[in-house]
Amino acid sequence: MLARTVTHALVGLEPRRVEVEAHLQRGIPSFAIVGLADRACQEAKHRVRSGIASAELDWPTTRITVNLAPAGLRKEGSAFDLPIALAVLAASDQLPADALEGHAAFGELALDGRLRPVAGALVAAEGARRAGLTRLVCPVESAPEVALAGVEPVAAHHLAEAVAYLRGERDPPPPLPPDEADEAAVGTAPDLADVRGQERARRALEIGAAGGHNLLLVGPPGIGKTMLARRLPGILPPLDDDAALEVTRIHSVAGVLAAGAGLVRVPPFRAPHHTASAAAIVGGGPGPRPGEASLAHRGVLYLDELPEFPRPVLEALREPLEDGVVSISRVGGRALFPARFQLIGTMNLCPCGARGDPGAVCVCTPQRIERYRERLSRALLDRFDLVLAIPRPRGEELAGTSSESSADVRVRVLLAREQLALRTMPMADDASTLLTTAVERLSLSARGRARTARVARTIASLAGDDGVGVEHVTEALSYRPPAELTA
Amino acid sequence: MSELALAVYAAETASHLLELPRTARFAAFRASFDEGAYRQQLAEAGLRWVARSDPGFPPQLRAIHDPPPGLFVRGEADLSLLTRPSAAIVGARACSAYGAAVATALACELASAGVVVVSGLARGVDAAAHRGALDAGLTVAVLGCGIDRDYPRAHAQLASRIALDGLILSEYAPGVEPMPWRFPARNRIVAGLARVTIVVEARERSGALITADLALDEGREVMVVPGEITSHLSHGTNALLRLGATPVTSAADVLEALGVVAAPPTPPPALEPRLAAVHAAVVDAPAVVDDLIRRTGLGAGHVAAALAELELAGLVVQSAGLYRGVMA
Repeated sequence: MLARTVTHALVGLEPRRVEVEAHLQRGIPSFAIVGLADRACQEAKHRVRSGIASAELDWPTTRITVNLAPAGLRKEGSAFDLPIALAVLAASDQLPADALEGHAAFGELALDGRLRPVAGALVAAEGARRAGLTRLVCPVESAPEVALAGVEPVAAHHLAEAVAYLRGERDPPPPLPPDEADEAAVGTAPDLADVRGQERARRALEIGAAGGHNLLLVGPPGIGKTMLARRLPGILPPLDDDAALEVTRIHSVAGVLAAGAGLVRVPPFRAPHHTASAAAIVGGGPGPRPGEASLAHRGVLYLDELPEFPRPVLEALREPLEDGVVSISRVGGRALFPARFQLIGTMNLCPCGARGDPGAVCVCTPQRIERYRERLSRALLDRFDLVLAIPRPRGEELAGTSSESSADVRVRVLLAREQLALRTMPMADDASTLLTTAVERLSLSARGRARTARVARTIASLAGDDGVGVEHVTEALSYRPPAELTA
Repeated sequence: MSELALAVYAAETASHLLELPRTARFAAFRASFDEGAYRQQLAEAGLRWVARSDPGFPPQLRAIHDPPPGLFVRGEADLSLLTRPSAAIVGARACSAYGAAVATALACELASAGVVVVSGLARGVDAAAHRGALDAGLTVAVLGCGIDRDYPRAHAQLASRIALDGLILSEYAPGVEPMPWRFPARNRIVAGLARVTIVVEARERSGALITADLALDEGREVMVVPGEITSHLSHGTNALLRLGATPVTSAADVLEALGVVAAPPTPPPALEPRLAAVHAAVVDAPAVVDDLIRRTGLGAGHVAAALAELELAGLVVQSAGLYRGVMA
């Protein structure tokens, strides 16, 4: 009267094998779940009982104990519903004894017996593959994710369907071909052709995309900073297989993956609001979950009105900006979330936003402006390779003709990236001399010098040149932080 | 030799004293004051004291009707530099980019013609003037707080650059806190040290206008940089112009007023063609990069590179993305 199913719990982005044991014994009918199950997991009792009844199967009127092993690992969420139901059915001989061999299960049960998708199916399926299991019983919506992990999904709409399959009464539904809509998805990203004028900002965006530089847009509100930032993913190269799997895994765990979608090929764009907590941005929670920084992995993290973010949030971003990873320590262990994103920040030159706007008069006191700027630490400001002051565009510019499309820009970005990866791009002597002069005249820090050299290298690669020349260094210098921010 | 005791007594009692008070309290203080030891302390802190009665005290400052009892001095330079032709450049703290650019350029040209530029180390026009003068030589700053204080704190680095070749002066002993009423008092020293006071930008009720009034009271010349009549920052300066102040249209105007013969202007070096087009477009009217791209028909990268090179050459200044040509 004992049966076992295998499923996987998520610890950060890592799957941990969990055996679901169901034991039936004579006694007063009861149902207990043990093994450090949280609230949602305890409530599985009611869902499983109703789900089994709705599937026209028998709920054993015995004393039922379900154990989630290892008992020391905290279990969270509702993905244990399906494995618990299957274990109970197997223990009560409603499934053949060896039916669950080689199978894992993952999913939530509705009271009417339907299966509901749960975040993290991709990671659970990867765990199944590593455990040597070849099939995973899951809700239909999770099937594409499961297939990505190299495990054959047994996709079912309803518990009864899953049971019929396990009894050998029907074949599993053929796996849906994953959406080959990658290119189409890139096409739906907002296009640079929509941006009128703004030649300088477009250029900076292109350099940022080619070199993966963080970009700070400084200027009055309402000049299209957000519009520009949203167009960066569209000119980034699509994610390669490894990166796409990594990103899809994170999005799966966070539950932001669109149902039925395949690999995430488009670099993600995340724009959390400045009221978001540090945990929401870098990740956290009792069972650590990825934050916006990780959701933006291999893509763009856009922080509008940077100085409005609480300082602890901004400082917490320094770790991922430096190492490309967020580590969250808990008593139960440590979770590592990759977070290698490109940061785009925006800010005004002063709290009222009128500075840099010829049509408005700034009413801020110097003290107020200073306080506003002090919210950004030097260390964070130094992380922005490109700083762009965008004044308010004039009417003539807004009426200008439409310009180059994202696809055209992306071709140049791809070429530049290839060149950056292949060549060392030495700096010419006269360019190096110029940089030294500039460091003295503009009192750049050592970091500022390195930043300029880095950007100059990207500019040279965009130009298709073999080395860094004077004109590349001078252009790079034009993207240094304005004196208003550094003084 | 009692001026130092007076200055230290004023600092300790947080008062502004120009003459020896006939009070028992001061008498007691003076009796207990060890001037030798105090001077020793000053020297250890790298400071000096010049009393009003010292021959080294700037004669122009001694000539005003309420000269300070003496000056605390930071910086190695000889005080005799204060006898050279001098101009004060003052203006709004919250100045515009135009004001800052003009103050910088003016100070730079005056300093290179050998004029000592005096200002108050405040934000805005003051700091711009000091920076411009430092580009060409030295400058003199007058503080409204104790000589040992860096106020505003943001200008600590600027202050140490000034002290390198120039002078930082204050009538207040080390330890005196900046107080609102001390700044107008400081302005009389700024005006008193200079033969000409130049107001760059000033609102209707600006401290710079106090300096201008003090200069007029002492019969010194006041010159004014004209500004846009629509800008708040020009209300004070334009009011002075209406009253008959001399407008400044170039550094030569100031040199003429000072009676200084400027070195013959060096013809500007011919620019490379790729810079010349962009430079010509900026000099036409202040512009953002996108305007220049349209005016010149050149690419965004090219214009950005040219602007940065012109900036390095000091031919163009930038603020909040707006570029403007520098006064020739």
